[in-house]
Amino acid sequence: MKLRSLALLGLLLVSGLAHADRLDDIKKAGVLRVAAFDGNPPFGYIDEQSKKIVGLDVDYAEAFAKKLGVKLELVPTNPANRIPLLTSNKVDLVFANFTITEERAKVVDFSIPYIASGQQFLARKGFLKSPDQIGGLKVGADKGTTMESTLREKYPSAKVISYDDTPFALAALRNGNVQAITQDGTKLVALLANLPDKSKYEVSPFAISEELEGVGIPKGETRLVSYINDWLREAEKDGTAQKIYDKYFGPKSKSPLPRLFKIGESHIREK
Amino acid sequence: MDFTIIRSNLAYLLWGTWPDGPIGGAALTLILSVGSALVSGVLGLGLGVALAMSSQRLRIVLTAVLGFFRAIPVLMLIFWTYFLLPLAFGIDVPGVLSVMFSLSLIGGAYLSHSVYAGIRGIAKGQWEAGLSVGLTRGAVLRHVVLPQALRMMLPSFINQWVSLIKDTSLAYIVGVGELSFLAAQVNSRTMVYPAEVFLFVGMIYFTICCGLDLLARQTLRRHEGRAR
Repeated sequence: MKLRSLALLGLLLVSGLAHADRLDDIKKAGVLRVAAFDGNPPFGYIDEQSKKIVGLDVDYAEAFAKKLGVKLELVPTNPANRIPLLTSNKVDLVFANFTITEERAKVVDFSIPYIASGQQFLARKGFLKSPDQIGGLKVGADKGTTMESTLREKYPSAKVISYDDTPFALAALRNGNVQAITQDGTKLVALLANLPDKSKYEVSPFAISEELEGVGIPKGETRLVSYINDWLREAEKDGTAQKIYDKYFGPKSKSPLPRLFKIGESHIREK
Repeated sequence: MDFTIIRSNLAYLLWGTWPDGPIGGAALTLILSVGSALVSGVLGLGLGVALAMSSQRLRIVLTAVLGFFRAIPVLMLIFWTYFLLPLAFGIDVPGVLSVMFSLSLIGGAYLSHSVYAGIRGIAKGQWEAGLSVGLTRGAVLRHVVLPQALRMMLPSFINQWVSLIKDTSLAYIVGVGELSFLAAQVNSRTMVYPAEVFLFVGMIYFTICCGLDLLARQTLRRHEGRAR
């Protein structure tokens, strides 16, 4: 992991520098710079008509920019670039399906989670029945994600093949290079909904971990963190969060999925 | 194979969201290529001449510096320029510039060795002839050696520039929306047409590289015609 060690080197360099208050900086600049995925429907992807980045994460970012009264500027990112973009001050926040982990929290701060899901698998229909099978499989994962590390940790005997982004992993699955791919259940459900031959595949009936995803915030910006947390709780209370969720996973959406997590909770509810 | 996916995204792949947004796609690939080809050419020529004309000690230092730039991967240099310069020195380099900067430096390092070899390849008698009619070393280089050497070096330049055109695709690492990056976005949304999308991308790179080759041959032919 060349990139990861480079990112860590960068972090060491920056840790000594003093920070101005980022919340004031954003307001003063009148622009909120946000890193979002450009290839991960429905969280962040390029809209077919407008050719702009849209998605669930982008809707949250837009709502937050509106709350601040500033313009939103989106910077496309892949999973591995999320931390370097924050630490090198290329963006103010990351809204990119960013799973909160202890290791990441050492170098960036997180808001409270605003969406959650479990790590699941996508494979040919009827192929995956229990987690015990995973150890003997070739599994495709996205480089620089928690799925990749969790998989390696929990199933050391599985052959993990890392791809730059989910679509490449999906292509590998379709071509038979891997027997399953792993991702957030939410993402896999949406992925499956877009496939023309979706009847051939299914999302595994089990999950191997719980992923809580929050906003990525530069380290040490405590005021910004609490400001975002207050805004997120407010978004849950006034129905904004539910509205955004329903747009992508609601009963009328392409990939309906019951909402088992609400902002402010600490775990996914049992079905 | 279903190429409607290409037709419906053609404008996006060719020039991104321009003129409503920043220019991207094949147009940005072309801009990145031309920009870094020019800078790497100038750097290569300058440094190659420096290698050929400088004293022993300076040449060792230069060779070491050039060796460094030849040895590091382009991807790494782009990544460093984009992510580490702001951290280490507070210099913020935009994505497009960090790509051009890296490609120019590395391309220049390669080319300088071609230029050096080209100059060395000109027979000693040419130098002596020039000096004996009273020209300075600089004048001999400019009017006698370089015109012959450059013609021999042209294939190396074209080689380097073709490889540079393809290396612009490494801009994806810092999110610069050139052809491959936008193609990956389109592929990510549609998911099931990677063959069509990347076949089209390959065709564009092929066209650009062939175009450069043709242009170079024509220039050379015109040049040789005039020389005779």
